[in-house]
Amino acid sequence: MAREAGVLSGRGKAARGVLSGYGAFVYVFLFTPIVLLVLFSFNASEAGSFPITGWTLGWYRQVFGDPDIQDALRTTLKVGVQVTAISVVLGTMAAFPLVRGGLRFPAGFRVAMTLPIMIPGILIGISLLILFTNVLHVQLTQQTAVIGQSLYTTPFVLLLVAARLEGFDRNLERAASDLGANAFNRLRYIVLPLIFPAILAGALFAFTLSFDEFVITYFIIGSSNTLPIYIYTQIKYGITPEVNALAALVLVASIALLLLAFILPAGYRLVRKLTRRAAPAAA
Amino acid sequence: MSEEHTPLTRAELLKRGGVAAAGLSAFGASNALAATMRGAGAASTEGVTLAWLTWFDHFFPQQLKTTLKQTGIACHPKLAPSDSEIYTTIRTTGSQFDIAAMDALWVPYAHKSGLTESFDLNGMKAAKQLYPAARDIAIWKDGSNSMAYPNGWSTIQTYYNPKFVKTKPDSYDALLDPAYKKKIVYENSPETFVAFAGLATGAKVPYDQTLPEIARSKAWLEKLKPNILKIVDQNFETVNALKDQSAWIGLGNLGVDLRVKAAGGPPIKVAYPKEGLLGWFDGEQMVKASKHKDVFLTFMDSVESQTYWAAQNFLKNGRPMFNEAAYKLLVKWGYKKRADAFNYTKPDTIFKAHLQGPARNPQAITDAFNEVFGG
Amino acid sequence: MVPVAVYFGLFFVVPFALIVCFSFWVDSNYTVVHHWTIENYRYFASQSVYVHTMWSTLWVALASTAITLGLAFPFSYWLARYVPRGLQKLLLVLVIVPFWTSYLLRVYSWLNILGDNGLINTTLQKLGLIDQPLSLLYHRWTVVVVLVYLYFPFAALTLYSSIDRFDWDQLLAAMDLGASPVTALRRILIPQIRPGITAAVIFVLIPILGEYLAPQIVGGTDGIMIGNQIDEFQKYALYARAASLSLLVAAFIVLLLILFRRSLGTREAYGA
Repeated sequence: MAREAGVLSGRGKAARGVLSGYGAFVYVFLFTPIVLLVLFSFNASEAGSFPITGWTLGWYRQVFGDPDIQDALRTTLKVGVQVTAISVVLGTMAAFPLVRGGLRFPAGFRVAMTLPIMIPGILIGISLLILFTNVLHVQLTQQTAVIGQSLYTTPFVLLLVAARLEGFDRNLERAASDLGANAFNRLRYIVLPLIFPAILAGALFAFTLSFDEFVITYFIIGSSNTLPIYIYTQIKYGITPEVNALAALVLVASIALLLLAFILPAGYRLVRKLTRRAAPAAA
Repeated sequence: MSEEHTPLTRAELLKRGGVAAAGLSAFGASNALAATMRGAGAASTEGVTLAWLTWFDHFFPQQLKTTLKQTGIACHPKLAPSDSEIYTTIRTTGSQFDIAAMDALWVPYAHKSGLTESFDLNGMKAAKQLYPAARDIAIWKDGSNSMAYPNGWSTIQTYYNPKFVKTKPDSYDALLDPAYKKKIVYENSPETFVAFAGLATGAKVPYDQTLPEIARSKAWLEKLKPNILKIVDQNFETVNALKDQSAWIGLGNLGVDLRVKAAGGPPIKVAYPKEGLLGWFDGEQMVKASKHKDVFLTFMDSVESQTYWAAQNFLKNGRPMFNEAAYKLLVKWGYKKRADAFNYTKPDTIFKAHLQGPARNPQAITDAFNEVFGG
Repeated sequence: MVPVAVYFGLFFVVPFALIVCFSFWVDSNYTVVHHWTIENYRYFASQSVYVHTMWSTLWVALASTAITLGLAFPFSYWLARYVPRGLQKLLLVLVIVPFWTSYLLRVYSWLNILGDNGLINTTLQKLGLIDQPLSLLYHRWTVVVVLVYLYFPFAALTLYSSIDRFDWDQLLAAMDLGASPVTALRRILIPQIRPGITAAVIFVLIPILGEYLAPQIVGGTDGIMIGNQIDEFQKYALYARAASLSLLVAAFIVLLLILFRRSLGTREAYGA
């Protein structure tokens, strides 16, 4: 591959330079509002806007002393994990028959599975509210919120996995089959590993969508709060800086987790390398 | 291609697994922490948690903590946006909420709909701190009981920046002045917009207009529309718009001028439209389907007895409370002037305003609003 | 297959059917009366303001989608082609990190960027380029800018996922055979990532059609979208009205998808 071989024409180098500059600009664009958000979490003034009247850590203190925030965060994480699990499983499962045929009404199925994205979230929220309270007579809980959110996130996973599966080279499977692999092994060793990036992208998508989901959740979560709902209702009454502090903390936590996720495997690899070097000596 | 991808995906898996594992363990840790916290706090005889659907300005977290210590009753508040949404939520969620807040005329409406139960207000210890007028609110009476525990009140008036608005806008029609093009902000409340229009066009009951009255109000709103800069969804946006002077006029509850000043904005004045003021007063109701009705009185008594927080409530939100004992505290703290400026000691002011309540034609009102403010 | 069908059947199809029923019932006294009528649809057909709002919404959605994809494509291309493998995933996740703050807060931050006292105006004034602050907020195009910001990660991730599996040697081969780099891109890369482009368009355009929070915050009265009007109905429990308007919007979307199915290449996206 050109990149790997390090062979780049002068034009290629110029293209890379321009695009890298553009990439940097994109990150500035993406993070400027975030930087401002964090900035105002230190603003002494209650209004989340310029001018900065003074610097304070008071909003952060408030966040730590507030049990409702911690409760909301817990709920959001619990719901997020469940939603991601369900969407990934259902979305991946549904991608196969969609792409590989075997469906009686592929067109209908296609439309039905992606319909949840096309309907305004309010509608999904209201319809589920009515289903749960008037038809099924169940109480609204975190689980009902999980159901509602998964309806919205599964189509994303489905489309991502289907797009990847679509370009999948079936010859690889045929070759494996020739070598004696059965359907299950083909799936496990050939197909899933190769579409794994799409599944992971889907999982990340699903979790992210769930974490920030407000509209549907608002209707069907009952008396619990998720973080977006908490933030929405707090902003309404104007204690924005505390909410900014909360968001900043969540941000820092997620970045920390992320770095951990990248450092851990690297550390793992390092340890393996060291032990491997030691092993021959032991042998 | 496959050789390239396999080692990558294993690395990917570790990374993602790492994130998930870290996330789950963090979550697990916080769960354990929460359990210990709850354990420490609820060294109680009750162990009950009440779900309270209310507005932000009805409680402070420390207030609830004190109540927990005093009574052993925990509380899980959930913030609600509007009366109609509280009404529908209580109606559809049955026993999930134990206490629900509501405004003025909504309270008897909810009671009539069988959603709430009245209780012996005057038998409560906390009620002794209330103004006599608040203990005896006619529309909230149910025999000798009351349908709700009174909290606070406010009228809605016009706030303006005297630097740009030279004539005091003491009438709703004054807002139609073309000089104020895109300079007015108000909140996203169709019922209140139509109610303003109703006052401007002579409707009998602004919040509950007949169809012909709504038609007239709609025409008035068409004239107002060019002057609206933005229909805000959050209260603080009115404050911010006045602060950075993108808006010259904002309508809102008592205290907007103070909040603009606190945010570092220009001096703002207040005008009271002569056609009449809209207003509200609110309180907490006991949900009929609640499974914890037996502790409602104990809980409310404890929460509402905390005079200190009632006084803090006024200072923070700028709206008078029905708590008379809190006024005495405010005077002691040196805030007499501010409290008097808001008519704190005259709660019957609010009973003369045009009170918030359900409409017979909510559909017509929302239709009218949408037709005017469509894109 | 069956669990998926059951799940969607129960939790989507059934509520959807309920909503269709609701659209034919009547709102009265903050509840829905089960009295069959086409009054709601008749109402929306008779009021031109809703059609007008729908067109404005479509305009905003199309503009936002075009710009978002236009911005995301070079970015995803750069990420998939020029960034060292090990760094790619990290940079990709960094794109999503802003999502882990709150949607609302991100939108409100734009008030501080575009406002009269905001970042842009203050900088331009300090640099002496302008005397009076520019009016950047509360226009329809303001909504487009903010929506592009909000949906960029959707597009970037989706496009990247598609570009990622592209064999770059094909471009080299094409150029060896005499094609210019641009032609090679256009005729080799783009067709192969078509499913990804389609997915990106779907992920961006369609949710934007239902947006109401962002327009409300930065759009002012000029930026109202159809989602705002649906929101007004649901605030007062006018579910019959909300249901019918939402279904009309959904029907409009399905119509769009049908009309443009060939250029979107949805067939390839979903597999034949």
